[in-house]
Amino acid sequence: MADSHHPNYKKIYFTLLALLVVSVAGPFLGIGWVTLLTAFGIALVKADLVVQNFMHLKWEKRIVKYILGASVALMVLFYGAVAPDVQKHEGRNWTNDAAAAAVARGIPGSHAEVAHEEAAPAAAPEGHAADSAAPPAAPAAPAGFDAAGAYATTCATCHGPAGGGDGPAAAALNPKPANFSDPAFWSSRSEAELHKAIREGGASVGRSATMPAWGSIYDDAKATALVAHLRTFRK
Amino acid sequence: MSSKPIATSRSATGVPTGRLAVWWVLASEVVIFGGLLASYVIHRMGHPEWHAAAAVTNTWIGAFNTFVLLSSSFTAVLAHQAAEHGDGKGAARYLMFTILGALIFVCVKAFEWTTEISHGYTITSNGFWQFYYTAAGLHALHVIAGAIIMGFVARDAAKGRELHRVELIGIYWHFVDVVWIFLFPLLYIAK
Ligand code: HEC
Repeated sequence: MADSHHPNYKKIYFTLLALLVVSVAGPFLGIGWVTLLTAFGIALVKADLVVQNFMHLKWEKRIVKYILGASVALMVLFYGAVAPDVQKHEGRNWTNDAAAAAVARGIPGSHAEVAHEEAAPAAAPEGHAADSAAPPAAPAAPAGFDAAGAYATTCATCHGPAGGGDGPAAAALNPKPANFSDPAFWSSRSEAELHKAIREGGASVGRSATMPAWGSIYDDAKATALVAHLRTFRK
Repeated sequence: MSSKPIATSRSATGVPTGRLAVWWVLASEVVIFGGLLASYVIHRMGHPEWHAAAAVTNTWIGAFNTFVLLSSSFTAVLAHQAAEHGDGKGAARYLMFTILGALIFVCVKAFEWTTEISHGYTITSNGFWQFYYTAAGLHALHVIAGAIIMGFVARDAAKGRELHRVELIGIYWHFVDVVWIFLFPLLYIAK
């Protein structure tokens, strides 16, 4: 501790507190990019103030900056190398169906509801799935369920964006998914059969098991909404 | 410092060995926390639905704890200043304030987690909560470890001994503060 440098710590401390207030206030404006700026831009400024002045990196020998810089560079390298494979859910020759399904499924049991009702938190998620034995009495499509969006994220990789059975993954499938735009398809299948195929998988209706069962993700009402969406592909 | 053993005074780099050691520790911590936070960012960007879970975290509690840590960093650096002026008692007193900050931080965290867990948000709820408890938990362990070490340093400092350690524990403490400076927007603000 040969060289003693002591900036005005009190000033730095109050600057830090002021920045904290700004970062908390940012989201109240409700503007996306402002929130990001006040959240992460300010975090960088705060961290820099602490590192330079409180940790005295400003006056530290250069070797220390190299050591820390190398660590930060490794972290950036890690992010850059991993993000393209994990952050995205599809690439040229692959799709991450599990992740895409998780996105489509949303937060299981919608914890937001649970928090409001404060009742039996754990039981809620599985509740709907259990009564799948009841025949689909055409429940109304649940509010907020975006069938087209769900189809695009969880089904289109195999069934194709327009239901033609020609999604990017279909090339590797045998048998191939049917063509939902073909009127002949619609005259040869019943609504209940399609509903069952979606909820319980291809094998449940005597078709290929490569058609997964989606019952844990889409309840009766959602499956009905999906069938309705499939029908829109019909030419 | 002239009677000190070689390990604490020798310095090929021009940085006192003890302080250089702390920097090396922090360099490895950067990779540990950095890797964890980078993974969180990667998954968060790929999972828009986490938004619903993130909305549950309590910004006010997070902000209060940020305030506590910033203040404890302030007292830690004042302890360093006192130590450099040879004022061991003053350094010890400031370090006790920092330890107090650590205690408040951990108590608030305990209250926060208890509330969340009793509402059904546990480490197994989904990916967001997994990161939430892992990252904040690892950070809290650092707070606890730092507070314990600081207790030993303060005890010596009060007797005027090993005053250079006041700076060393301070550097570590500021790092713990910096990690929280990033955790706060990641877990509590960017919803
Ligand atoms: C892994 C690829 C894959 C995914 C993802 C997939 N399917 Fe399928 N699906 C298939 C295959 C292959 C068949 C054809 C099975 C057969 O004919 O033996 C099929 C059959 C079907 C059938 C029955 C059609 C018929 O011929 O009676 C329906 C309905 C269906 N899928 C709906 C969906 C919906 C809705 C989704 C999204 C929630 C979905 N599929 C996701 C591969 C997939």
